[in-house]
Amino acid sequence: MSEATAVESSKAVIEARDLTKERESFLRKRLRVLDGLSLKVERGMTYGLVGPNGAGKTTTIKLLLGLLRADQGSIAVLGAPPGDKAALCKIGFLPESPYFYSHLTGREFLTFSGQLYGLSGKLLNERIEQLLATVSLQKKADERTGRYSKGMLQRLGLAQALINDPELLFLDEPMSGLDPIGRMDMRRIIEDLKSKGKTVFFNSHLLPDVAALCERVGLLSGGKLLAEAAIEEISPQRDARALEEFFLKHIKAPTEEVAP
Amino acid sequence: MRDDTSVPPVKTAANPILPVRAIAVNTFREVARDKVVYTFFLFAVIISFFGLALGSLSVGQDVRIILDLGMCGISTIGGIIAVFAGANLVYKELEKKTCYLIFTKPVAAWQFILGKYIGLSICLLFLILGMGAFLALTVYLADPAHLLVMTERLKWIGLSLLLTYLELLLIIAAAEFFSTFSSPIMSVVFTVSFWLIGHSAASLQELSRIFTNPAMKQLSAVLYWTLPDLQSLTRARAVIMYGKLPTSELTLYLSAYLIAYVIILLVLAALVSEKRELP
Repeated sequence: MSEATAVESSKAVIEARDLTKERESFLRKRLRVLDGLSLKVERGMTYGLVGPNGAGKTTTIKLLLGLLRADQGSIAVLGAPPGDKAALCKIGFLPESPYFYSHLTGREFLTFSGQLYGLSGKLLNERIEQLLATVSLQKKADERTGRYSKGMLQRLGLAQALINDPELLFLDEPMSGLDPIGRMDMRRIIEDLKSKGKTVFFNSHLLPDVAALCERVGLLSGGKLLAEAAIEEISPQRDARALEEFFLKHIKAPTEEVAP
Repeated sequence: MRDDTSVPPVKTAANPILPVRAIAVNTFREVARDKVVYTFFLFAVIISFFGLALGSLSVGQDVRIILDLGMCGISTIGGIIAVFAGANLVYKELEKKTCYLIFTKPVAAWQFILGKYIGLSICLLFLILGMGAFLALTVYLADPAHLLVMTERLKWIGLSLLLTYLELLLIIAAAEFFSTFSSPIMSVVFTVSFWLIGHSAASLQELSRIFTNPAMKQLSAVLYWTLPDLQSLTRARAVIMYGKLPTSELTLYLSAYLIAYVIILLVLAALVSEKRELP
């Protein structure tokens, strides 16, 4: 690694401080979805954000991508404010349970995604072929996405997230809807991205995947980051059970304190 | 799945038109692949034949009847598609959450709004040209007149189509603007109201003259000056109705007037989209 890259790689890719986000619920009641969340993700790291349903994981990703605006706090993603167009050129995003235009075929959708980054012509076509092979969708590439199964949509979602060869990837529940083979494939692709020095930030309920892939784990509950640790500290063998214990210990702790 | 995910490095968009084109092509495909379009095509065909049937019942006025009914059919069908497809234009992206995929890529709100607008406008242009061509063919079949007469008729059809299309361009822009912040049903209601008020703009002006209450006077005047006055379109159509062609000044004025409104509506739609959060 050259000196310049070494200096660059020490920089934080994602830095969020004291994020607070409220939303209006039924009868205009204010609900605090995120409460003083601070996060830091270093370049080349795979960061897993785990937590129960409704913990604020998806909201966090949306804030980092600029789809939502924080009520309080500051965010820098690749050194720019969220939603910055130059930074978005280097970011890939796989939304939770992705839905694509059902009138387009898989290939047409990838062409569309590439064009939004300003890619075109031979370069784009080659890239699409390569990505279709990566996510094993070559045979179904000319079928309309309306006929795709959930797992196929997830694979296509990953392909579109990689179309610009991003430095930073946001994956919202990447394993949901995948069968065991699909999950294994997804793991392999994430491993490969890691080996190429990409930064991956993902949300998941599935602790075995988090244990196997992540270098650092954040535990979010009730909009607060309850704990954060390197996976090595939790279990040097990347044991999913140890991560589960870590999860339960921190999730249960506040309730036990409150209980008489 | 293959392990290899390596792709050549990305040179990101320097050309701001590429994303607009991509969104336009996608919207065009979406509307064109929607079966609704074909149903309306069928409707146009039926109307034209209806014209043939009615035309044969009238004495010496068959071409007139076919032309009038055909043009009426084209503007009605075009109007319905413009209002309904326009009202869904942005809302569908929000509801289906495809907007997440667009706005997490380097796409600005104005590129999104403009792309969607151009896509639907081009789709409607093809539709109207198709129906116009069908109408011209029906007229020719009903009365295979001399080339000179036919040229006059084609000019008439062409100009009427142009005026109809100009009006539809405004309606699509209005529907798209409303669809950035309201549900499709409300967007349809708003767009149709906007359209109807535009056609009775003189009444608003008259109202502001009649009102004695200064507040009401002010309100109707503001409404008159903010909403488009589409009555000049009707006037131009009336001229065409009597077989005359409107002056080029009138056509130019109408085009400039409507395009200015389209630009204002699209800028407003882009501003709303820019400010909007995507929960």
